[in-house]
Amino acid sequence: MKRPITAALAVIGYVIMIVPIIFVVATAFTAGSTLRFPPEGISLRWFDEALGYEPFIEAAISSLGLAVLATALALLVGVPVTLAIHRGKLPGKGLVEGLFLSPLIVPELVVGLALYQQLMIGMDLDNFSTLLVGHTALMLPYAVRVTGASLALADPALEEAARGLGASPLRAFFTVTLPVLRPGIFSAGLLSMVTSVNNVPLSLLLQGRDFRTLPVTMLDYVQQSYDPMVAAASTLILAATVVIAVIAERTVGFAKIFGGINQ
Amino acid sequence: MTAAAELIGVTQRFGSFTAVDEIDLAVPSGKLTTLLGPSGCGKTTTLRMIAGYSAPTSGTIRIAGIDSTRTPPEKRNLGMVFQSYALFPHMTVADNVGYGLKLRKVPSAERRLRVMETLELVGLAHLADRKPKKLSGGQQQRVALARAIAIRPKLLLLDEPLSNLDARLRVQMRAELRRIQAETKLTVILVTHDQDEALEMSDAMVIMNEGRIVQQGSPQQVFPRPADRFVAEFLGYENFLTAADGTPLTIRPEHLHIVEKGHGLDATVVDVAFRGVDLLVSLDVVDPSGATVRLLADVRSGATLTPGSGVTVIAPDDHLVSLPR
Repeated sequence: MKRPITAALAVIGYVIMIVPIIFVVATAFTAGSTLRFPPEGISLRWFDEALGYEPFIEAAISSLGLAVLATALALLVGVPVTLAIHRGKLPGKGLVEGLFLSPLIVPELVVGLALYQQLMIGMDLDNFSTLLVGHTALMLPYAVRVTGASLALADPALEEAARGLGASPLRAFFTVTLPVLRPGIFSAGLLSMVTSVNNVPLSLLLQGRDFRTLPVTMLDYVQQSYDPMVAAASTLILAATVVIAVIAERTVGFAKIFGGINQ
Repeated sequence: MTAAAELIGVTQRFGSFTAVDEIDLAVPSGKLTTLLGPSGCGKTTTLRMIAGYSAPTSGTIRIAGIDSTRTPPEKRNLGMVFQSYALFPHMTVADNVGYGLKLRKVPSAERRLRVMETLELVGLAHLADRKPKKLSGGQQQRVALARAIAIRPKLLLLDEPLSNLDARLRVQMRAELRRIQAETKLTVILVTHDQDEALEMSDAMVIMNEGRIVQQGSPQQVFPRPADRFVAEFLGYENFLTAADGTPLTIRPEHLHIVEKGHGLDATVVDVAFRGVDLLVSLDVVDPSGATVRLLADVRSGATLTPGSGVTVIAPDDHLVSLPR
């Protein structure tokens, strides 16, 4: 009796996720000049327009820069924390892990507002630095979870073996532990970057005249004009995301990445 | 004979649990010593303390005469083979084996030579450039062994090295390990829960139970004379009976004889299991103290044995072992 319900839910889930994407992608290839479904004819003209529209390109570069920096920071903080949680003799491991995963639960608008109030108003920080702090916090759960998943899979005896063969703890870390974790860290980085680039709530709250991310710029654009260029830009982002997801799946595997979250 | 490693009053507690309880042990140099016992008996904990992966709660560990109780593992120069092999997955077989030599700053030409020499010893020279993942379980095991031997360790420590191999390979590897031990003349400590493995491979065996050493000696000394009921059961003595004076006795199933009538113990056949080359007969036997006990006899033939029939069981004196009360 359970199966048909599960199957129906799965189908509904896929429909809810995929149908909007189909609409956007189809609209992007339209030859017409309004954001309308079904598309009128097929052309690549709106892709051309999107790639030539300077605010989009500028925002894309900003977004990427922010994503790369936030990801690097999140990994620099997250990887040592993961090691401490999994291998160290840390009191209150669960609490520490919970703390680092909490950005997944706290509504981003709340985080955004808090950062706005405390950092931008309170400490007079600029948009970019505040956004960097916000995005880094948002990426931490990925850094901790994904590296944690690959660390949990790694044999703890590896480090002991290295020690036994004459390696100091530091040497063992750099020659054995870190290389073994590399695929996990790589996927954590990819996932963080995707999350950062796609983020709207934080970026919206903390935007400024001189620093604006791609999703926010697209949102602004849609409010003023109603042409399919935005659909084309979305399709390009989608394509890039799919490529990155495939790379992450190939290197570590989603079952391992997300299996951890359900524990 | 000098001791390659010596444990004096070594205890290891984890919280309120005592894993190893004040053991004294001298590991003879150039021999293969096994630590044998059921899981949880403290054998692996003992090995890990010798290797330096956990410090004893109290007691002293000497390696080659030097107090090494608090020496970190990287300063002990011991070779350890882990149950999981723990091969570095991102390195080739040759780099795994050469890892310890690189840390010892052995120049690369000499390193390559010694790596190949060691791989030759375990029969894997042709796989030097493979990654460990591409090897079978038995081959991975040999790489782990080569990696441990390559550093010319003071002791070679093997933690259940054969338990992840299938039955046939395990038996082959026993002989292989003996050969390598003989060729290298290394002092080996092998941890196992498999009594056949220990009997076949050991120069000296140390049987542990509940954190203590219950018996030690050569297999030839230990096997025919188990010190107590625990060792007897562990070594496959399945029959326990009591002498007329109340002394507990034990005898192996293959040493009991069944005759139709004769001078021995009265018995009734309970069950006969055909096992190909032999028969395993369960019997209710009236032992010398007058009690009825269930015994197992392993006999070659017994066409006339049927459940319910009365027979006589003979337990030859030279195979009966008395145990402490």
